[in-house]
Amino acid sequence: MGKLRPGRIAPMLAAALLAASVAACGGGSDEPAASGQPAEKIKLTVGLFSDFHFAPLYEEFKKTHPNVEIVERRAQFNDHHKNLTTQLATGAGAADVVAVEAGYIATFTPLADKFYDLGQYGLGKRQADYLDWKWSQGLSPDGKLLGLGTDIGGTAMCYRTDLFKAAGLPTNRDEVSKLWPTWEDYARVGQQFMAAKVKNAKWFDGPGENFRAMVDQAPVGFYDEQNNLVAGTNPDVKKAWDLSVQMLQADESAKLAAFSPPWNTGLTKGSFATIVCPSWKTGSIKDAAPTTAGKWDVAAVPGGGGGNQGGTHLMAPKQGKHPKEAAELIDLLTSKDNQLKLFTDAGALPSIPALYDDPAITGFTNPFFNDAPTGKIFTDAAKALKPQHVGPKAGDVLTAFGNALQRVEQGKQQPDAAWQQALQDLDRIK
Amino acid sequence: MIPRLGSGKARTLTYLTLIAVVFFSALPLYYSVVVASRDNSALADVPPPLWPGGNFVANVEKVFDTVPFALALLNSVLVAGSIAIAVMFFSTLAGFAFAKLRFRGRNALLLITVATMMVPTQLGIIPLYLIMVKLEWTGSMYALIVPALVNAFGVFFMTQFLSRALPTELLEAGRVDGCTTWGLFWHVVLPVARPAAAVLGMLTFMSAWNDYFWPLIVLTPENPTVQVALSTLAAGYVSDYALSLTGTTLGTLPLVIVFALLGKQIIGGIMQGAVKG
Amino acid sequence: MATRAPDRPTVVPRHRSERFSRQLAHRLDVKASPYAYVMPFLLVFCAFGLFPLVYTAWVSLHDWTLLSDVHKFVGLDNFAFLLGDDYFWNATFNTVSIGLVSTVPQLLLAIWLAHLLNRPLRAQTLFRVTLLLPNVTSVVAVVVIFSQLFGRDYGLINWVLSWFGVGAIDWNAGTASSHVAISTMIMWRWTGYNALIFLAAMQAVPRDLYEAATIDGASGFTQLRKITIPMIKPTIVFVVITSTIGAMQVVAEPLLFGTYSPTGGPDRQYQTLSLFIYENFAKLDFGYASAISWMMFVFIVIAAGINYLLTRRSGGNLT
Repeated sequence: MGKLRPGRIAPMLAAALLAASVAACGGGSDEPAASGQPAEKIKLTVGLFSDFHFAPLYEEFKKTHPNVEIVERRAQFNDHHKNLTTQLATGAGAADVVAVEAGYIATFTPLADKFYDLGQYGLGKRQADYLDWKWSQGLSPDGKLLGLGTDIGGTAMCYRTDLFKAAGLPTNRDEVSKLWPTWEDYARVGQQFMAAKVKNAKWFDGPGENFRAMVDQAPVGFYDEQNNLVAGTNPDVKKAWDLSVQMLQADESAKLAAFSPPWNTGLTKGSFATIVCPSWKTGSIKDAAPTTAGKWDVAAVPGGGGGNQGGTHLMAPKQGKHPKEAAELIDLLTSKDNQLKLFTDAGALPSIPALYDDPAITGFTNPFFNDAPTGKIFTDAAKALKPQHVGPKAGDVLTAFGNALQRVEQGKQQPDAAWQQALQDLDRIK
Repeated sequence: MIPRLGSGKARTLTYLTLIAVVFFSALPLYYSVVVASRDNSALADVPPPLWPGGNFVANVEKVFDTVPFALALLNSVLVAGSIAIAVMFFSTLAGFAFAKLRFRGRNALLLITVATMMVPTQLGIIPLYLIMVKLEWTGSMYALIVPALVNAFGVFFMTQFLSRALPTELLEAGRVDGCTTWGLFWHVVLPVARPAAAVLGMLTFMSAWNDYFWPLIVLTPENPTVQVALSTLAAGYVSDYALSLTGTTLGTLPLVIVFALLGKQIIGGIMQGAVKG
Repeated sequence: MATRAPDRPTVVPRHRSERFSRQLAHRLDVKASPYAYVMPFLLVFCAFGLFPLVYTAWVSLHDWTLLSDVHKFVGLDNFAFLLGDDYFWNATFNTVSIGLVSTVPQLLLAIWLAHLLNRPLRAQTLFRVTLLLPNVTSVVAVVVIFSQLFGRDYGLINWVLSWFGVGAIDWNAGTASSHVAISTMIMWRWTGYNALIFLAAMQAVPRDLYEAATIDGASGFTQLRKITIPMIKPTIVFVVITSTIGAMQVVAEPLLFGTYSPTGGPDRQYQTLSLFIYENFAKLDFGYASAISWMMFVFIVIAAGINYLLTRRSGGNLT
């Protein structure tokens, strides 16, 4: 308003020029620098099933994308994936960015028509960063990039130093790792532990986790490369089964289902001495049993390292209206620097191998776990990881076997009958 | 008047029983408040802690930080309130028709109404969701309110109440005076139905407040009802039960307050409605 | 006292046509109003109840996986498989068992509680409000607390039992024990609710009946049996039917009791029909899940019908 006087024009021109030049520089994004108009306000929803500690990363994103508001929504693990299925099937309600856990990723990647191809938004260039197998897990059968990985599991064995001491076992982590080069050794040490009769303590939490870890380490798991269900005939699966049953029958199990309330209690009360630990579980243990700080340590997992349990991909359902921003957000959340940050914050093991030699990680120690060099332990485990193809319904297969093991554990069925019933359950999986 | 209590022994027994009932009804709630005011490990303690700890306020703050709880409370009040009022009104309307009006197909329709109660909710979740998508109501409170505006339970409830409590002579007298059916409804039926409608309204409010599965599917965590917000609180590999139970305590509190304030009136209304010939 | 419709001035129609139209309006009113009054319910049901019903019936005739776009018509194959499926009958057994254990004691208790409250007492409102407290508690809280109570190693109930020398019971593992635990949860939640409904009905019973009986020397319990119960028969029928229907649809309690295990325990020891549907739904087998839903509907109709006939034989009626 008002009259344009010469004295005023110059500063206004300067401001306009400045604005134009800033717009021209851009923020390193692919956006054409032409407009100079303020970008429209956008809201991106991020759907997670746990606290991924992404909050500081959202702030970082806002700096380059001031017009984007990020809203995180969290749902319980099972509800999250079930709701995602409903939302995809009916075409509405999904978040812009969704986290899909490793157990479910193979269910969603075949649906290339329901997710944005992140390759079309420039994320194909990230391939060089990633572990090959983690990268392939996020691809659709025809090679489209649907999901970008956040973390992987890696596997180690967490143990209670106080319980080991009470049983007369060594407590130093290197010595402990030497105790069980194979799973058979692990079972044998378990019997030693049980013989020492430490009060109210068993060797491990539940048979399912060990079974899972053993199967994960085999070259072929429940499905072969062509997605045929081979769990019933795979000798490695049967071997894992037999050994798990053996450990059950030696009364080494505390009979607690992972993540159930009694399991939480068991962690706090020291009901078991060892537990299979993917990297993210170190965070869970800390959350579930804060009073046990310092009583834990981390050793190598039996069976020669390797095996991956868990981990997540971020995907962008086609229902979202802002694929470009969603892709950029995914890029940031999974960037090399941020994966490093998330390891030190939350114990999320990166899926970018270049980080495995990064001193920030290899030098990282976890005070909750007796200052164990968890950085080095898990990166070593990750390096030893031989990838295993995960089939579409791996979760259901695991449930069938897990239930069978529990039936044996509860004395409801003989091992052979339980195995047979598990195989019948597999037949029902479509 | 009301039957007398009888001998002293029977009286003591009655009071003792009722006190036991109060104790068992309140125990789990009390226990959850105790855990809510402490932390996760309190759930594992045996014998369990008896007194609330000091953590309650901190947990409450955490609840409000983690989920939009104030919005959730507002939404729940809106949804449960609308449904309760609608159900009270429409159920009384239909109940009156079934109980006292004569029309063709009355028995068949009543039977169909009762039959609709037997349709398991699971049966319809996906198609219902599809309808909501078409109407573009996903994520909004309409998806919760509209399908619930009137239900078979309410209709059945009011039908059987009115059939006994509404004297036919009264209605006939009204007719003779020239009342239209609506006039009958407004002036005769509604006053008689009030106590039962109040009970129905209260029960409906509670069940709408506690509805878990459907809101979980059709709403988003940004615009939740209390139960959806509670589910978010329980999210995570490891649930923070203290936080979760703080949330449920907060979610129950409004209902308890309503009862404390209106309980006497609502439940007392039942007594009033009964003092008739 | 009986109320009376307010006096309306009678208007004497001046012309025959006016009288005729008034009569017509009146007849329309009497004939059409009932339908109009029942219409809101039927409309809502048709829109949001009937369509899903029919749609699910359609789906049940197909081999329909939720995320694929190809649906093969298979006729009644899903139902044929269902009838031969051990898991289905297991779920049916569990549902009936939990239904009976949670409903029968509950209703007896509810009637008795209502009877106790149906008299002058001190702290009336407190007692009556307490009846509803359990129903007001969120399901999530109920299951968390009761899972703790029924915990194997550190549960409160096992701790109390240990005072009497009884060993720790694994409530979750056994069939009978898990049914008892879940039924306890359901009973805790719904007894007060039903007691309140019974109480409302009891308050409508004329007092002079009781007075006459007391004069004749009848005890409280006899009065309950001979006066109260017969007089509230329709309510009893109503509660029996609604409780049966509710009990057959139980899903939240078994699901959360097993920490989200859709199989209702490793041996499916407490998998109800609703949970069985949920399991198949989670496995994306929409066609099969729909078939099970329809069978469940049939069972509910049968169960409710049986209960209705049983209660009616002793004199009750739908209205």
